[in-house]
Amino acid sequence: MDAAGVVPPRKKPRNAQDKAKRKLAFWLMIPSFVLLLIFFITPMVLTILFSFTNLSLTGANASALKFIGFQNFVTMFKDPQLAQSVWKTIIFVVFSAVIGQCFFGFLIAFMMRGKNRTFRRIVGLIIIAAWVTPEVVVGFCWVAFLGDNGTLNLLAHSLLGMKPVAWLYTFPMISIVIANIWRGTAFSMMVFQTALDDIPAEVEEAAVMDGASRWQLVTKITIPMVRGTIATNIMLVTLQTLGVFSLIYTMTGGGPGNATATLPVFMYKQAFVAYQLGYGTAISLVLLLIGALASLLYMRVLKVRL
Amino acid sequence: MMRENKGMRALQYLILAIIAVLFLLPLVWMLFSSVDPHAIQAIKLPSHLTMANFSAILTDPNIMRSFGIGLLVSGFQAFFVVAISVLAAYPLSRYPLPWKKPFLLSILFLTSLPMTAVIVPVYQMFLYMKWQNSLIATTIFMISTSLPYGIWMMKNFMDSVPEGLEEAAWIDGSSVWGGVRKVVMPLMLPGIFTIAIFTFTGSWGNFFVPFILITAPEKLPASVTIFQFFGNNGLVDYGQLAAFSVLYTLPVVVLYTFAQRYMSKGFSFGGAVK
Amino acid sequence: MKLRNYALIGVAALSALVLTACGSSSKSKKGVTTVKIAWRGTGKSDSMYRVYSKAWIADFEKKHPKIKIELQPINASEGDYFSKLDLAMKSASTAPDIVNEDTFILPSDAKAGYLTDLGPYVNKWSDWSNYNAALKKGSQGSDGKQYGIPGTTDARGIWTNLAVTKKAGLSSDWTPKNWDDILSAARKIKKADSSAIPLAIGVSTTNGESVAMQTFEMFFYGTGETLYTEKTNKWNVNSKGILDTLNFINTVYNKDKTGPSMSVVMNANYGSTIFQDKFPKNQVGMGLDGSWTTGNWVKGGAAPVSNMTKKFAFNLMPTQNGEAPGYVTMSGGWAWAIPAKSKNKTAAFTVLKAMNTKKKAVDRALMEGTLTVRDDAAKDPAYLKKPFIEQATKALKNAYFRPKNELYPKVSVAIQKMVEDVASGQKTPKAAAAKYATDVKAIVGAENTETQK
Repeated sequence: MDAAGVVPPRKKPRNAQDKAKRKLAFWLMIPSFVLLLIFFITPMVLTILFSFTNLSLTGANASALKFIGFQNFVTMFKDPQLAQSVWKTIIFVVFSAVIGQCFFGFLIAFMMRGKNRTFRRIVGLIIIAAWVTPEVVVGFCWVAFLGDNGTLNLLAHSLLGMKPVAWLYTFPMISIVIANIWRGTAFSMMVFQTALDDIPAEVEEAAVMDGASRWQLVTKITIPMVRGTIATNIMLVTLQTLGVFSLIYTMTGGGPGNATATLPVFMYKQAFVAYQLGYGTAISLVLLLIGALASLLYMRVLKVRL
Repeated sequence: MMRENKGMRALQYLILAIIAVLFLLPLVWMLFSSVDPHAIQAIKLPSHLTMANFSAILTDPNIMRSFGIGLLVSGFQAFFVVAISVLAAYPLSRYPLPWKKPFLLSILFLTSLPMTAVIVPVYQMFLYMKWQNSLIATTIFMISTSLPYGIWMMKNFMDSVPEGLEEAAWIDGSSVWGGVRKVVMPLMLPGIFTIAIFTFTGSWGNFFVPFILITAPEKLPASVTIFQFFGNNGLVDYGQLAAFSVLYTLPVVVLYTFAQRYMSKGFSFGGAVK
Repeated sequence: MKLRNYALIGVAALSALVLTACGSSSKSKKGVTTVKIAWRGTGKSDSMYRVYSKAWIADFEKKHPKIKIELQPINASEGDYFSKLDLAMKSASTAPDIVNEDTFILPSDAKAGYLTDLGPYVNKWSDWSNYNAALKKGSQGSDGKQYGIPGTTDARGIWTNLAVTKKAGLSSDWTPKNWDDILSAARKIKKADSSAIPLAIGVSTTNGESVAMQTFEMFFYGTGETLYTEKTNKWNVNSKGILDTLNFINTVYNKDKTGPSMSVVMNANYGSTIFQDKFPKNQVGMGLDGSWTTGNWVKGGAAPVSNMTKKFAFNLMPTQNGEAPGYVTMSGGWAWAIPAKSKNKTAAFTVLKAMNTKKKAVDRALMEGTLTVRDDAAKDPAYLKKPFIEQATKALKNAYFRPKNELYPKVSVAIQKMVEDVASGQKTPKAAAAKYATDVKAIVGAENTETQK
């Protein structure tokens, strides 16, 4: 055992202890710092700088990059589509991630406890398969599922005698929300499985012996015990879902009209379809802002620990 | 696990089964199309079953190579993200550091910038450093972009391992590292697997980054080669696309099955989230 | 200091990785130039591999020992292909030597300074005179310079399913002479078979450029107007032709209701739904699409149809009131270009010449189902045997090209929006045309607009 650094910190006087801790912390975090600085923070800062330029991949601007001040932001705030896109993004995130994925993720993880191993595996695999199917294919799967002659309409017709519904056209937002719940639940399920596994069986058993009902057990014991994980998970899925692009783009292309044009779709269309990359970058900063605000809100309300 | 009455258990089985079926339904198109000689973009029963789509993929050396490259890139990425996150998460979880909060928050905020916006600056940076077309540099970039989530999640999982257990190990003469290795890591295995699977999946499905940063076709991972089924003017080879997708889901499914052995052990000790 | 050592090892390993990542460069044999060819790859069944096969490359390299050909297909959706290509052409270290450019984006890339003016090269090339004159113009930049060598082209028209039109009482040699003929045929089909889609034309912005070109411009250029006057550099807004075209779309979708249902047409997969699923199953009467659509119906295609020339017809798009020459088509296609940053331009042009001989032109058109760009190849007996080729070639004689202006991609977005607004009933044709005028003025500047006629 090396005496200097790794003797358990408590054996040292307080000040020296803190100093040693900081030093060790510094060394442990060096790999992260270096990588994050070069490959993460630098490009992010560059991205922010580019939002003040006329950057474009093609056309006259491509050969004449220049700073244009706040012009992109002025254009953006004048565009009525911005407010709509922000609103759609929030709806999409709240319903598909915060409510949908977290709820189903928890429900599945909770009910899977103590079930037959093979059964658990099969259910888990199906849910994981939804998560790992390539995004472009997920789009096709959902179009085939929700199409006029799609699986859902066939089932609804043969089981309930329903007339075919043009789901993607009539309920575009609901469709992409459900598709995203379907796609993303696996992640929350895994996180909750991990957290629920950590709950000592004795705690719950003791509560049952004290005469707690099932509902009380869940709300008074289980959920409070994984409260921290729930809060963290909500925060992570929020940040992940803010950027969801391919799923929406392959399913609806942002349409019909602009019905499903969330910010990433709006951004992509401006940057790569209308070839205004600088402008698109400015739009992406709105996403950054929403992400920051949401995180701060969660820290306040859900008391996400840092 | 607690005892439950039989009716309750049966009900839970039923609900889970229904959820599983609902989750399976959208995948039906993919499964059908992969064995359909004339798959189209609508649900239909194959006129007859064929393995031609699968054999076309399995016998294509370019596609097989792209699977290999994808496995290497994603495997390395998952490994390094876990390793580096463990190192970083330990002090973040255990020590009172003054800059902890702003650090964690700012790296997390930045992840909400979409990759489509960030990729052009990254590309220019790669050009400047002459890293274009380098799989290693691309992998390192992908490791770095997954670090914020990795560190954040790892720190959270580590928080849920009580310090008391570690202290007991110290008293028994363990070093800090010994405590981490003997006490913290085993308890965190489910968390570590969750992060590894999460990172692997994210990397395995990452199209945009390797597509932009890698030029040579022989270096592209499977997430990019999938686009070879899309012809001009919207003509798509749906059958092979679906067969490719079925094969494409396999690595993560296998990884998950393997991880299950470690993930749902149900520890008899261990603490709850503080 | 065990923990610290681990961290240090980590840093060292990473920096080693980064360093090895830096030192990647390929050295070729002395005096041999490698010419890299980039196009939008479509995998193993990619016809480019068959046209420019290994044998062909080996043969070329034998004849030109100083040149080595390297194929670099880019597998991606069309939009991502352009982004990747543009990024690659920015730097000499990543620029391919030959690129395949959609003629739609070519003027814009030329304006960005990505492409080489091929004028001096083609002038010394004896084969150049065999190229179709109109198509040559289609591969020029807005400055009139020749930036591309046409590779393939296409024509658009109205595909008719004869089984459906027969039910509606139309003869098998029915051809529309004007817009009204199309409308009345659609009404007849609707009456005769309520389950079939009488007339499928794409109108959703999610279908992108095809809505501007294949729907709006196909009709609009039949009114005798154009989107843009090249000589004066002015864009046409608030004109009668625009309004007439929008009225036609409004009639189909909202008055007669002879178009597909909104759920079919507002779908990103509209094209494959119609031409792979419904049309071959006799559920569509008429559908507006390109000559390449036969690719769906050939043996090995997604929806093989035997005897397709007996079952379907390819009708030319008539002008509004049958004005001479009676029909019109919009043409696009792909052209070969040499990036400005390429270091091997002379060798690249040598390869281009070999890639575009008459024989290769015929091969490519046959394998891709596209139309050839060379007048001599168009007379080749093998080429003339292609299904529906006669009509398509005839259409080409009267082909229009999209405006050779770098702002066209942006104007196209405004056109798509205008068409969708009318078809979905969100705006009247008048209101949509007014919105289009505002949008175009914002894109090109009010001083660069005019009203034709």
